[in-house]
Amino acid sequence: MLYNKFLKMHIKTSMQYRFNTLFIGITQVLVNIGEVLGVWILFSQFTSVKGYGFYECLLMMGIVFTVFSFAECFARGYDEFHMLIKSGEFDRMLIRPVNIHYQILGSKIELTKLARMALGIALVIIALVNLNIDWSFLKILVLISSFICGITTITGLFIISATISIFTIEQFEFVNIFTNGAKETAYYPINIYAKWMTKIFTYVIPVACFNYLPLSYLLEIGNVPMWLCAISPLIGIVFIVPCIIIFNLCLKKYKSTGT
Amino acid sequence: MASIIDFTDICKTFKVPLRTKGKFSMFKNFFIRKYKTIEALKNITFKVNEGDIVGYIGPNGAGKSTTIKIMSGILTPTSGNCVINGYVPWKNRREFVKNIGVVFGQRSQLWWDVPIMDSFELLRDIYKIPKDEFDKTLKLLNDALNLETLLNRPLRQLSLGQKMKCELAGSLLHHPKILFLDEPTIGLDAITKLAVRDFIKFINKKWKTTIILTTHDMNDIEALTNKIILIGKGQILYQGSFEKIKENYASSKTITVEFAKDYDNIALDGYEITNHEKRFATLKNLPSKQFHPKEFINEISKNYEIIDFQVTSLSVDEILAKLYKQYEIIER
Repeated sequence: MLYNKFLKMHIKTSMQYRFNTLFIGITQVLVNIGEVLGVWILFSQFTSVKGYGFYECLLMMGIVFTVFSFAECFARGYDEFHMLIKSGEFDRMLIRPVNIHYQILGSKIELTKLARMALGIALVIIALVNLNIDWSFLKILVLISSFICGITTITGLFIISATISIFTIEQFEFVNIFTNGAKETAYYPINIYAKWMTKIFTYVIPVACFNYLPLSYLLEIGNVPMWLCAISPLIGIVFIVPCIIIFNLCLKKYKSTGT
Repeated sequence: MASIIDFTDICKTFKVPLRTKGKFSMFKNFFIRKYKTIEALKNITFKVNEGDIVGYIGPNGAGKSTTIKIMSGILTPTSGNCVINGYVPWKNRREFVKNIGVVFGQRSQLWWDVPIMDSFELLRDIYKIPKDEFDKTLKLLNDALNLETLLNRPLRQLSLGQKMKCELAGSLLHHPKILFLDEPTIGLDAITKLAVRDFIKFINKKWKTTIILTTHDMNDIEALTNKIILIGKGQILYQGSFEKIKENYASSKTITVEFAKDYDNIALDGYEITNHEKRFATLKNLPSKQFHPKEFINEISKNYEIIDFQVTSLSVDEILAKLYKQYEIIER
């Protein structure tokens, strides 16, 4: 398959700079461990935040780390789309007989992010072991779909940022407020924030749909109806569809850059 | 002969944000933007026959790259029709691009850090080239360009000339019918330049590939093309053979004369003195004056004693510079 070839090229590239790749991976993990420590220190002072304890928050962080690093690893092409335009690489893609999204996904695969993803998965496992969850088939399904929802939501945000750079050529920092902001927001249960923020991160950018809401269902806490919590990841999965449609429409207005 | 590229009345306008000056202008510009429309291409019409090598020339910013980008399906024109190889480039993109190859002289299509051969294999998969056909093409390109020793080295280790050879090979692996070359000889040394030119001719003969090439090197034009299209300020100013242009300018000569002694003032009917320093002078015949060596010697010897003189015709670069000036397409 063509994607495997792309992947192979990226592995070969990072093997050229083995030490660098390793070093970036390790530093990123260290930064994230620092964030975990921050939460841990917080919980040594307060035992719970709105019914959420340390392990509940650890589970949320684990999911956020995992889905973010997954998207940053495999959907990096959208995130750094302005670079593709500036370097002329995007013009190249337009003269290849392959679907443009397929090429964008294949153009940048950042393998250093896998280290962070491993940390995220480790955190999720640690949290799940320490939490008393009354498992059922539906709960497993909700947990898995919340991961998928997270990946599609973040990728959707990247696509929106890419769509804007079709016109501006520059990266639009404004979108970072939503991507990185969403990340930091999602470490804690969404209902600790102001009402308007909760609403934005549920309905506009469905961040709550891949951690707070499905976890409420898993842990059977919170005051949102359980059935709503259970189906919430679907919203995030649907979120990416309009993002792709808008991107495709805007692509027709593409202007390219100089020689 | 059937035309493979058919461009009719292509126009392309860009909207460029207008910056205003004054207090808080940066702020204002951020919120309220005024746009100015720039006509990059105005009613471009031309035809290219199958197997032709066409030189697309013009000063920087004339619209060459825009045309190439429209022809390769990257940009959509504002108006006009364009049929290339039976396709409209910006519709049905994926079918269309299977039969074209593009080399942007200053941008690479190969991977920086991996051996060239890996990039070629990726291209094989992208274009779905059958294995035996790929091997055959690669062998042909290999023999013509001497790539053997380069293929297992990463792009970053190659010289500019070696890179260009690999770029050319990379854009031809899928055996395209049309090849677009955007400044293929830019920055190359003399030997590589000749090698690249020979290769372009070779491919054109061997595969009957139609080649469109933009360049600032007039020797490329002389050596390769059988038709040129001159573009300036987004309009076509001339299309036809380069020989014809040369003929038009063939009569203007530059004569460098060495005198036996210093003259204070030199004047000769029908000639313009462009430079005079002690015993040396440079003369140019006026458009009305036909240059004849014998007549020239007779006339100049009447008043001056000369030791030596040298006659040169306009170089192709000078011809082009004159042409640009004549059409006033150089921005001043």
